[in-house]
Amino acid sequence: MVSRPEFSARHFGPGSSDGGTPVVLVWRDQWLVVRRGVEVIHTLRAVEVEPAARGFNNAQLALQWTIDDDRHMVVLDSAAAAAFREVSPPALQHRLQPVAAVQRRTERRFRWGIALLAVLALLPVAALGLVLAFADPLAGWVVDRIPPSVEARIGESVLAQTRAQGKLITAGPAHEALQTIGRRLAGPEESLQFFVADRPEVNAFAAPGGIVVVNGGLLSLADSAEEVAGVLAHEIAHVELRHGLRQMVKSAGIRVLLSLAAGDYGQLAGWGAQLSELKFSRDAEREADSRGLSRLVGAEIDPSGLGRFFAKLESVEGAGGALPAVLSTHPATEERKAALEAALVQLPPVAVRPLGIEWPAVRAALESPRP
Amino acid sequence: MAMDEVDYEVFGNEMQYVEVELDPGEAAVGEAGAMMYMQDGIEMDTVFGDGSAQQGGFFGKLMGAGKRLITGESLFTTVFHNESNGKRRVAFAAPYPGKIIPLDLGDLGGTLICQKDSFLCAAKGVSLGIAFQRKIGVGLFGGEGFVMQKLDGDGLAFIHAGGTLKEVALAPGQTLRVDTGCVVAFQPSVDFDIQFAGKIKTALFGGEGLFFAVLRGPGKVWLQSLPLSRMADRIVRASPAAGGRGREEGSMLGGLALGGLLGGSDE
Ligand SMILES: [Zn+2]
Repeated sequence: MVSRPEFSARHFGPGSSDGGTPVVLVWRDQWLVVRRGVEVIHTLRAVEVEPAARGFNNAQLALQWTIDDDRHMVVLDSAAAAAFREVSPPALQHRLQPVAAVQRRTERRFRWGIALLAVLALLPVAALGLVLAFADPLAGWVVDRIPPSVEARIGESVLAQTRAQGKLITAGPAHEALQTIGRRLAGPEESLQFFVADRPEVNAFAAPGGIVVVNGGLLSLADSAEEVAGVLAHEIAHVELRHGLRQMVKSAGIRVLLSLAAGDYGQLAGWGAQLSELKFSRDAEREADSRGLSRLVGAEIDPSGLGRFFAKLESVEGAGGALPAVLSTHPATEERKAALEAALVQLPPVAVRPLGIEWPAVRAALESPRP
Repeated sequence: MAMDEVDYEVFGNEMQYVEVELDPGEAAVGEAGAMMYMQDGIEMDTVFGDGSAQQGGFFGKLMGAGKRLITGESLFTTVFHNESNGKRRVAFAAPYPGKIIPLDLGDLGGTLICQKDSFLCAAKGVSLGIAFQRKIGVGLFGGEGFVMQKLDGDGLAFIHAGGTLKEVALAPGQTLRVDTGCVVAFQPSVDFDIQFAGKIKTALFGGEGLFFAVLRGPGKVWLQSLPLSRMADRIVRASPAAGGRGREEGSMLGGLALGGLLGGSDE
């Protein structure tokens, strides 16, 4: 006698308990025998039973049939179902294929869903990486589309902030000297504004919209108006080339993305105020140097002032003093110094008109206590 | 596999605990945080994985640990075994108001799918596994239902339902629509599907989840009247110290994706 394979399943329907009753399924040729213990409770032809993928995750195989309007169902777990399919007669087997297809589809969709979720979770990170990789061209693209009126308003707000900190010197020899240098360097049509800030750090910065702020600390360190003119020409070049704006856009964009990636929307406010701390790129510095140099030549100002001033800054740094702020925002690399010196040597001899400012007087005015 | 026969007694009405009696040499597994008290002679042992003997080898253990990590469960299960010569008792308490349900896995076909916070304790030999909702709609919109716990074995297991317990026996093909958070446990023969609440107005202003769980028989289903997330939500909303605004249960991805975008506005 050949032993027939038996499959354990649970029977639901009349006569079974709420949670189903364990049964055993056996094929006898075309007949499916459902046995509870030793008692045969159903004998069904293969064509009578309706297979379906059912249960949690569609993982189970359900076989349904109806007797006198009563619905019966046996449920096999996935392992039993696979073995059961193998020995089923063709009349049922071909109807088990769609069941397996449903189960495969469920699994496939689950994997796609997980992959999609992973992609969604990584999207802000990927966007951040992209932006970091293309930060410069992107910032350039955005900056090209910012109208001058917006630029001017950013400049005004930066100025208003500096003013609110109570640090602008708007009269006296230092102010006058800066205006004199400014007038030589730029025509009135350029609508540039020059301000002295009463701050000890050796720093100068150019805000969008043509606002150039020079700290008193920088003026005190200079030995001549020509040195200051060199710094001013360099800063004006940053304004012309919209370097500050570009840096703002870049850092703002990165901050926005960082906040988005971190899911923190509260951090977006207040990013614009740190213009004086923005660090320019090496390319931007080189560009500003060469353009500043042309401006000095055009204004008939001795162009060696900028180089002299930087040498002075480095000696301060070398003497153990703190790194002057202006060097941290305008990095003075060896390469940059070499380029500046080479450009100076290559300059054709130019007519130079002295600025004619008594610099010691300016320094004295800055060092005297102010009301 | 020899299952440990466990005698037990449930105490309390709305804040219950279950006292499990262990014969000499018998053991029970439980979440360490659920233990309430244990008598002399009961030894507590923390084992890697789920304490069942089913995970063979290093990789089996690693897989088990990985699954437990994914669901946020502890990597270790605590086994309580009776080292004395007489019967000893250990008790496990429900973490919040509700009912403790004793279930004989043998009577249910050996497997039970339950919500992941609902497990309390079981006879040693019951294996605690993880079951992902692999129907993608259920996974995405099923709220807490994405990761389920799977209990395998033929011994006693105790799970906890928040609030009042409702046990439903579904006939073949019979369906019941349930809030996704209210499903505690069901037999694997039960279809678990998800259905959009239908009217967008209900979804937006009804205050509850956007989706129903649709349970289709055959099999038994256990429902809770008070999901922990719903209670927590109300407490957070009522508490200015906690920000005074909470997340709805049963929302998309459990509030992960939309919580940040839509939950950011002040009320
Ligand atoms: Zn610069």
